[in-house]
Amino acid sequence: MDNSIATPIAEYIAGVILKNPKRVIRPDEKLISSGLIDSFHLVDLGLFIEDKFGVRIDDSELNAETFDTLEQLVALIASRR
Amino acid sequence: MLATETSPSAAVGRLVLDQARARNITLFVASVLAAYALQPAMPIRQMDFWLPTASLALAVIIWAATSPALAAHHRPDRATLTDAAIIGGIVLGVAALRFVEPLEGLITRTPPPAVPSVLVALAIVALLALAAGRILGSRPAWTTILVVGLTALLFALKFEPLTQALAATLRAAQGQAAAQASALDVRWLGFSYIFFRLTAALRERASGRLPDMSLREFVTYAVFAPALIAGPIDRPERFVKDLRASFAFNWPDATEGLRRIATGAFKKFVIADVLALFALNEANAAQVQGAGWTWLLVYAYALRIYFDFGGYTDIAVGIARIFGVRLPENFNRPYLKPNLTQFWNCWHMSLAQWFRAYYFNPLTRALRTRAWAMPAIVFLGQVTTMLLIGLWHGVTPNFAIWGLWHGLGLFIHNRWSDFAKARLVIPPERPRLQQAVNIAGALLTFHFVALGWVWFALPDVALSLSVFARLFGL
Repeated sequence: MDNSIATPIAEYIAGVILKNPKRVIRPDEKLISSGLIDSFHLVDLGLFIEDKFGVRIDDSELNAETFDTLEQLVALIASRR
Repeated sequence: MLATETSPSAAVGRLVLDQARARNITLFVASVLAAYALQPAMPIRQMDFWLPTASLALAVIIWAATSPALAAHHRPDRATLTDAAIIGGIVLGVAALRFVEPLEGLITRTPPPAVPSVLVALAIVALLALAAGRILGSRPAWTTILVVGLTALLFALKFEPLTQALAATLRAAQGQAAAQASALDVRWLGFSYIFFRLTAALRERASGRLPDMSLREFVTYAVFAPALIAGPIDRPERFVKDLRASFAFNWPDATEGLRRIATGAFKKFVIADVLALFALNEANAAQVQGAGWTWLLVYAYALRIYFDFGGYTDIAVGIARIFGVRLPENFNRPYLKPNLTQFWNCWHMSLAQWFRAYYFNPLTRALRTRAWAMPAIVFLGQVTTMLLIGLWHGVTPNFAIWGLWHGLGLFIHNRWSDFAKARLVIPPERPRLQQAVNIAGALLTFHFVALGWVWFALPDVALSLSVFARLFGL
């Protein structure tokens, strides 16, 4: 997993979405299907990724089927860069 | 070269390929035929022929409007012409059954219309498809026009005064008494779900994400027999992946499919049908006395609707599974979830997913980039999404209230969890407390949903309010 992608995303999820900067996001932790990230914050996460990495994640891709864990999300971003 | 072709592994490979092709043709032909066979008869003559034909016509026209290959080559290729000929042949074949008296009711419930009028209809559809391809093929953004058109049609079919007007027009066209028109005259089997599949394709095309599908694949997707009546709602990209994957009939998949069908049939035809005997409905709502009995009706309704729809979904998923198609799931133990947000992540999931992808996410994104305050976005997003889901069941005050009930419930839960997230954290060393909170949450959520069904199950506001009054002894 590419840490230059993973670290800012993990920090964003813990600090901004979960409001708990100390929270560690494990690479294989289920983020969407577990309810950890709700549907509003999922859109925010999509916008953050677009700003930060210049990679568009379509509205129809913001779901647990496309990516549910940090490592899946990092792989998706890496494949589009 | 010759040796490789006749080697055992090549032979197995060819067999798998042939099985996949045979399976795809079977699903295509069976789905087109099932659109007619499953459509019930209606008081308007020949509607049980024309409505399924309209479903197929919409699929063909929208395929032409969205096909990247058709747009690139400007004319249909040989495979497309073959597929179109198969569809036309089946439609004509179904109509021609009127000449074979013993088989007249084999596919359609009532005698089909005369062949010349069917030929004219097929010609019109072909011209519309060509025009759609020519005009919209190179302008994906314009496909929004078709989304608006489909939505208007859906609204007309869900809003009783408009449905009645439509029925009167269709009656007049068939030379029947327009004065007797009723909204029940136009029960277009599967349209509510065809709408979702076709709009998904149109939206994916507009965003440039629609895979290149053949006419055959697209029509199979739009009217896929196991999911025709009530979903699950699949996405084009996912569905077509299954059609293109290698397929060989195998017992593990078939057994799993049969197990799902048996489980579903038990849920739907045994559990749900027994619960239906005392589930809340218009008749017993007006008669029942006492809070205890009223609660029993409400609980029975909550369980009946779950087992009925869950059972139906099991059957649909099971049938598709035997043919190597893995339809999305609709339910994941929704009544055991500790809050309303998670309930809606696990209830009619393919519908919720459609609304997220094509309504909620674009709306939220638009409001976020305009820097609206989060609570306002949450309110607007939750309430309008749930209102639309409510109205999709029918444009009536009760369905609207049911949608608002859930929209407001989700909004309140969202604000509460946002407040509690940083303040009320249960430490991991206290699992018992977490468990107790989850159980209390699940009970609360179940009752909120069950009370919501009082709006959903009954036809008018006054009757629903009288049930609420009895539930709480008012």
